[in-house]
Amino acid sequence: MNETSVNEERPAEEYRRLNKKCMLSMYINNAITYAILLTAFLLLLTFVPQLQEPAFGPVIMLASAGMVLLLIYLIAGPKIYYDRYRYIITADKVDVRYGIVILRHILVPIERVHQVEVSRGPVNNMLGLANVNITTAGGVATISYLELDEAEKIAERLNDLINRMLRDRE
Amino acid sequence: MSEELLRCHPSIIVENTLRTAIALLIILFFWVRSLDMPYIVGLAVPLVVLIAFHYRQWKLTFIRFGETDIVVERKTLFKLKKTIPYSRIASVNINRGVINRLFGTSKLIININSGYNAVKPEASLTFEQRFADRMCEEISRRINCAEMPSFGEEVEPLVQFTTADVILHGLFSVPTYQSILGAFFLANSVIEQYRSTITQAGADLGGSLISLFMFFLLTVLPAVRHMIYYYGFKVYRKGDTIFLQHGLIRLYNISFNISRINAIKVKNTLVSRLLGRSCIEAEVVGIGSDDGRGTTRPLISILKDDAITQRLFVELVPEFIYEGEAEKQPDGARSVLIGRTIIASAVLIAVMAYPSMLAYERFASGGNGIVDAMLPYAFPLLTALAIIAIVYSVSVSLRVREMDTGERLFTFVNGILDRETVVMSYDKVQMVHVIRGPLARRFGVASAKVFLLSSTGTSSMSSGLFREDGLERICEIVMERATRGRR
Repeated sequence: MNETSVNEERPAEEYRRLNKKCMLSMYINNAITYAILLTAFLLLLTFVPQLQEPAFGPVIMLASAGMVLLLIYLIAGPKIYYDRYRYIITADKVDVRYGIVILRHILVPIERVHQVEVSRGPVNNMLGLANVNITTAGGVATISYLELDEAEKIAERLNDLINRMLRDRE
Repeated sequence: MSEELLRCHPSIIVENTLRTAIALLIILFFWVRSLDMPYIVGLAVPLVVLIAFHYRQWKLTFIRFGETDIVVERKTLFKLKKTIPYSRIASVNINRGVINRLFGTSKLIININSGYNAVKPEASLTFEQRFADRMCEEISRRINCAEMPSFGEEVEPLVQFTTADVILHGLFSVPTYQSILGAFFLANSVIEQYRSTITQAGADLGGSLISLFMFFLLTVLPAVRHMIYYYGFKVYRKGDTIFLQHGLIRLYNISFNISRINAIKVKNTLVSRLLGRSCIEAEVVGIGSDDGRGTTRPLISILKDDAITQRLFVELVPEFIYEGEAEKQPDGARSVLIGRTIIASAVLIAVMAYPSMLAYERFASGGNGIVDAMLPYAFPLLTALAIIAIVYSVSVSLRVREMDTGERLFTFVNGILDRETVVMSYDKVQMVHVIRGPLARRFGVASAKVFLLSSTGTSSMSSGLFREDGLERICEIVMERATRGRR
């Protein structure tokens, strides 16, 4: 069985991609995360004298290797995330495909959408990006790092679709 | 329905005060050193304030059972007006605790069909027993648009559940991993006791007691709780409504319409499987109660012989039966699982190598008894056991995990030690995730996570590793049915 047969059946142009600014947002977030972790790691090494004993040598080495691996992941991750991220909103469904190591395909029938919300963190706010959170009774699906205009348009469109559907039902 | 404003039964003051007073007494028990006058006053003042607070709350809380909705209005400092339309009510149930029985009252529990309010009921109202029964019947009739049998009616249950069944359910429905952990703590407690009393090696008696407490907490307490909760278990179906009655201290009368069921699970633990017993759990929305049991999914059959469970399944929820042919995990899944086993084992060995060496150096001098002699090899032994467990779980997973997609329903079979067969309706699926890790991509398989609305808010069911097109088929059918339903 060809692993991507289902993906390949769909014309690629149907799916939309993210703006390249999303990578910048991710790099900034990753840099902040890594700086916090690195500071905590260095503080531990400096202020916990037991960690300087030879018995802890291999543990420190393992933790350092972990920090290096994490750095590689945080540097390489945003590019892969951007390359793989695809989303499409039709009259029936919201379909999102994304992932760095583990790939996810999320499908939300419009019928099940309860609420649509546009959210912006400080970094995204600075870059003019936003997330659209789509709430169903079973959980929340998010379309991340959209340009603000695009996010607002998507939220509006989803709300229209839901309202039209509810009107049809009546 | 009358339009007049009602108040709850005054016993609610006692009930609410007692609940807070007990917590207060526990705090004071640890805090107060003697029963001197200042302490008695210190105890009495908050108690009086508490009674006054609950009295005022009772006095200023009104309930109106209207023609189209139920209105609960509280006119205290923190005002509240809650309107519950009958059309949004998912279930109406009756609970009777010890205080209710003393005062001849019942608690009318009203739930709406909402993920956010799934655990806590929308309203919990205490009334005189007969009035509560009548209102429960009236509301049930309105929400189901049909004549409903009441809880009071004598109905012959489909299967008789004896006290022995309840005890067996209590003992063997505790998840196996929890029982294993409990057994580990029990063994540790016994070993510590043995070391401290027989060998006089100065072992930690406190550690032994903590282990014993953990065993009690993990194994004994859940078993006893299940026995008390499911005592006198009865289940029957009338029309499209399933009725459940059980409880030793608090009586639970639960009813829900069949259309509220999102999924049915046939479950068994390792021991119950060896005894040939299984139980049936329903994923129902809107049956939360305010005593914490709202976090529990309702069982429509406690552990009973497999044949009887099958019969109950057919008679209680025939809507969840369909002809299908379950699909085992494909060869690609075998390769992925073997790959994962190798990686997990290698990581485990790498992580445990250094602590194993340290432990060997530390305990190599030996000591008294078998336990001390084993200590230098404890980490390698534990690592070996963990690897055996991983290999075992992979082999069982390959044998057990199945998937089946029908026209209306689909099924996942999961579990290593404890097994469950979940039958879900496409129409109740809220969201689907199809997930592919790097190994799964290499071998052309994926797993799926299906999100449903559940009694605990939301829940997700995961599949094993299957061909991606098979899992995408679930998405397609969900979409197809949603679109068709709209037309």
